[in-house]
Amino acid sequence: MNLFHNFWDYFIPGLTTGSMYAVIAIGYTLVYGVLQLINFAHSEVFMMGGFGSLVVLSELAPQSPHGFTSVVWVIVGMIAGALVGALTAFGLEKAAYKPLRKRNAPKLVFLISAIGASFFLYNLAGKLWGRNPVPMPELYTNGEVFSVFGTPVKITQLIIIGSAVAMMIGLDLVVNRTKMGAGIRAVAQDAETAGLMGVDIDKIISRTFIIGGLLGGAAGFLYGFGISGQVWFTVGFLPGIKAFAAAVLGGIGNIRGAMLGGLLLGIVENLSSPLFGTQWIDVTAFVVLILVLMFRPTGIMGERLGRSA
Amino acid sequence: MLNNKFVKFAIPVAVGALALTACGGGKDDSGKSGGKPTFSIGFQGPLSGDNSALGINENNGLKLAVEEANKKGDLPFTLKVVDGDDQGLPDQAPAAAQKLIGDTSVVAVVGPAFSGPTKASGGLYAQAQLAAVSPSATNPDLTSQGFTSFLRGAPNDNEQGAGMAEYLSKKEKAKKVFVIDDKSEYGVGLAKVAIDNLKAAGVTVETDSVPAKTPDYTAAATKVVNSKADALIYAGYYADLAPFAKKLTDGGFKGIGISGDGSNDAKFVELAGAAADKWFLTCPCTDATKNESTKAFTEAYTAKFNTPPGTYSAESYDIANLVISEMKKLGKDVTRDKLLAALKGVNYKGLTKDFAFDDKGELKIKNVYLYQVADGKIGYLGDVATLSNG
Repeated sequence: MNLFHNFWDYFIPGLTTGSMYAVIAIGYTLVYGVLQLINFAHSEVFMMGGFGSLVVLSELAPQSPHGFTSVVWVIVGMIAGALVGALTAFGLEKAAYKPLRKRNAPKLVFLISAIGASFFLYNLAGKLWGRNPVPMPELYTNGEVFSVFGTPVKITQLIIIGSAVAMMIGLDLVVNRTKMGAGIRAVAQDAETAGLMGVDIDKIISRTFIIGGLLGGAAGFLYGFGISGQVWFTVGFLPGIKAFAAAVLGGIGNIRGAMLGGLLLGIVENLSSPLFGTQWIDVTAFVVLILVLMFRPTGIMGERLGRSA
Repeated sequence: MLNNKFVKFAIPVAVGALALTACGGGKDDSGKSGGKPTFSIGFQGPLSGDNSALGINENNGLKLAVEEANKKGDLPFTLKVVDGDDQGLPDQAPAAAQKLIGDTSVVAVVGPAFSGPTKASGGLYAQAQLAAVSPSATNPDLTSQGFTSFLRGAPNDNEQGAGMAEYLSKKEKAKKVFVIDDKSEYGVGLAKVAIDNLKAAGVTVETDSVPAKTPDYTAAATKVVNSKADALIYAGYYADLAPFAKKLTDGGFKGIGISGDGSNDAKFVELAGAAADKWFLTCPCTDATKNESTKAFTEAYTAKFNTPPGTYSAESYDIANLVISEMKKLGKDVTRDKLLAALKGVNYKGLTKDFAFDDKGELKIKNVYLYQVADGKIGYLGDVATLSNG
């Protein structure tokens, strides 16, 4: 296989998948930052976001919209996904984590609670929307916008990469420039001291989940509509695991690390397809993860936002 | 190795059997209507999960046959259906099979629907001498595993793979074909036969494996497009072919697409939308809605389930009726062994084809049919051999 001849053919899809992983990975990393907890139900937030946008679009959007209406419906879909994702994450925190936090439960119990919540949510989705994949409505004809060294870049790829970049920049600003962001960083550094300094820890944690949910839900929409074209009840599983790996790769708890890890994982995966065969995609991705962790156990960028309690 | 496996299964089987006979006995007594004993036909296939559409098609065919047989009133027993849902997954298959084996009222099984689950549960059925007649498990290896109670009511993938290769090389004159499997028992088997036959016909072949449920099919689609192949064979199921077909269209693939019976379902068209257009699908099954012989069946099925029969519905109905007719001959004292022996020697004229098995448990008739998606529907083209050489 001549990889270098077709490099861009695999690099651009890699960037697309990678930016989606990055957006999901932020959800893992944010929660880890403030709670030192891996929210394994985050893949279900992603799945609910996908279904939320699917329901809104198939109920409201017209048959094969075009031009300006397409743009409107893509935005509506993304907002719907983000809102449902945020709602799911908010509910998740209230139902599965807060009661445990109040009782000072050991960390392992949170993990079990997360897995239980994940089972509950995907089975609920299976009950609500059936266990067969459901197609996402098509919002436009996916044409070529421009080409990079002969490789066409499609509208969908631009939308995914563009909105992911916008979300990542927005988040970076929120975390680094706003009062709420300062609160999140304070809780991540030392929750107790932050509490003594007048930070409302519960509120910050709840908001962290909401932010992670907004991003995860929007990613659910982007995936269902741009990458797979369909949504099903276990859709969150693989992207969720991959995004978790991406978060670890970049340095769990480190937001910029999660972004970098996601992009890197997506690109490595897609480039490994022509090199070793598509069946080796997952293997390659995880070999890279292990290699990085062998030399940098805290990930590429290291744990910055969080610190082990 | 085998021993180890059996030991692993033995305990749950024994416990399960005890538990089920305990409650099964109670059911039998209350189920006797007018002194008639109750027998059941089991079903094993995916009734939930990603590929459940195919399992439900077959399950409905079986249920219709049983309902009609009961209604006729000339049976010396009352018939029931017991469902064993394996989700189409090999790891769920032993549990589904054990449920049926443990239920003493079950005298034969229609299924398993998929090849992977058949490999995982065929040994259990053989041990229990419970006949498992599959309408659709088409992996060629299944009949050489020592599954002594497995009968295959469909031509195996050797015929389908050969049919695909024959059609592409003779009719479409393809010079280069890309073959992709989904790493499942079924997909790998089908792909291997297709590759061998294509190579034998002098066609250049490129291959790749894309595991089922791969999150993103873009890389695989790009590979196919870059290979400049004239045709693509996808050996896998519709839940994966649908997103793959979309990515192929996006990537500008202009060649011929062909897939097997695992993708031959209306769900494929529903999920892939316009991208499904022009895809060829092979199947050892005929289209029940198109053939004169299955007209009455189609009407009854549509009336009962509110949807026309799908892939393998009619075959499953045929196999159910075949089992019922053998049971009828045995009368009130049907046992698993007697029924299995009878089924092995059966010569039954069904609506879709004639059923007779060779000594390996393979169907004697080996026709494969070709379909093509057009205008959002799977259209029936005809017998592959005739189309290729005509």
